[in-house]
Amino acid sequence: MAQDAPGAVGARLSPKLDEASLIRAVQRGDQDAFEQLVRAYDQSVLRLAVNLLRSQEDARDVFQEAFLRVFRSIDSFRFDCSFHTWLYRIVTNICLDHLRKRKVRKEEQAVVDTPEGPLDRMNDFPEEAAHADPERNLWNVQIGQRIEGALGGLTPRERMVFELRHYQGLRLRNIGEILGTSEEAAKNCLFRATQKMRAVLGDFQ
Amino acid sequence: MNCESVTKLIPLYFYGELPPDEEDSLEQHLDTCAACARRAEAQRELSAALDRREIPPSAALLAECRHNLMRAVYHQDAIVGQAGSLRPIGNRPLLAWLPSLGPWRMPLGASALLALGFITARLTAPGAASPFNLASLTPDVIASVRSVQPTHDGGRPGEVQIVLDETRRRVVSGQLGDSNIQRLILAAAHDENNPALRWESVDLLRSHSDSSPVRELLLNRVAEDPNAGVRLKALDGLKAYTGDPEVRKVLAQVLMHDQSPGVRIAAVDALTAHAGDDMVGFLQGVVQKEDDTYVRRRCAKALQDMNASVGTF
Repeated sequence: MAQDAPGAVGARLSPKLDEASLIRAVQRGDQDAFEQLVRAYDQSVLRLAVNLLRSQEDARDVFQEAFLRVFRSIDSFRFDCSFHTWLYRIVTNICLDHLRKRKVRKEEQAVVDTPEGPLDRMNDFPEEAAHADPERNLWNVQIGQRIEGALGGLTPRERMVFELRHYQGLRLRNIGEILGTSEEAAKNCLFRATQKMRAVLGDFQ
Repeated sequence: MNCESVTKLIPLYFYGELPPDEEDSLEQHLDTCAACARRAEAQRELSAALDRREIPPSAALLAECRHNLMRAVYHQDAIVGQAGSLRPIGNRPLLAWLPSLGPWRMPLGASALLALGFITARLTAPGAASPFNLASLTPDVIASVRSVQPTHDGGRPGEVQIVLDETRRRVVSGQLGDSNIQRLILAAAHDENNPALRWESVDLLRSHSDSSPVRELLLNRVAEDPNAGVRLKALDGLKAYTGDPEVRKVLAQVLMHDQSPGVRIAAVDALTAHAGDDMVGFLQGVVQKEDDTYVRRRCAKALQDMNASVGTF
């Protein structure tokens, strides 16, 4: 049986401070508490943005915009859902906007053809590329284009559900809460996403 | 369970989203149906391929994002500048000053306008009382009653006089260079209960850091103020004096001990603006003990710029 995706989202809070106390401190204007709160979630947020948008620049924008929105509107957080859900509503809305704009601009493909051959936009990540092993590089060239093409065929919402379930390890019920829909709708979205990808990719190893 | 329903459930099965009874039924079906077992295997292969696609964000990118964010938060200039679109930040005491920065961002050397807070004044003179609508008494007004007495000297029969404690805002205007004005602002910069007032005071005074009392205040605030925004503002006011040994000593302490990475980064920048060989050992020590990646990188970069090794041997 499959497990939740590795690195599932989890707050990295100091055991001394529970999250509710931290949020109340931020609501009272404690900037240090805000910094602690950011650090509890920022790695997960950045990982989502990087993998979803495949652009360092866009991921940086999402990170900044999302946490500034949190900073500006935390007074309106009323503890009627978990902070994680509230934060991810903000993050996913911003990411979905980016994905929709890309759809319009038709810039979805990660690997683009150039006169010098295929150019992988994953090279936007210099540190990652520098340390990648040769086997992975070969795999990127051969399979990466097909994978990105398959993911590019998903609607922004299907893409988001898939990303949150597969890479972030969130439960579908939680994903439904985040996206303002039902668990059943999230299930259908995940099913459609996997069906579309299998149709494009076929069986391969 | 038939093949059609199993096909639909395989992704949910793979992600552990099926209830236990459905999971049992599906597994029984997979044990007996080779076609569905192949579909389950294809799902596993797809997942493995997608796992290999994942890009972990680099530590440098994370540090950069954190740094940019905290700069935007700590430096109100960045916040106000970035976004006319940013709405005022609620009614949090610390941040309540942000939307009212406008009047404070006057040209340096212009008149300072100090709101000295609310000063309780007992207004017992009948002439000072202003008429108000008795039908709209609020609990605050009722609670401010201090004495009641029959009206003497020409009052109508049955008329009473009620004395209320009122609060009154007193405003003092003057030049920022005026020593009395500076004394008031220096006092305001120590108001323990009002970080916004401290921030505003430090912001006004930092343009007069050539004055010893002001420089002393800035050194005190950068080292002691509990609010990181005030510490940053004070540090900014000391930038012209980063060659002064006394200032460098305080900034070194800030870099070693301040809890906020944003303030530590500002301290690194200020200290390395006048970097000399005497800084090498100190910065190497910071690199060893610093737990924030970005601060560590800034120190390491400063050492490299000085042609010094990052580590100690």
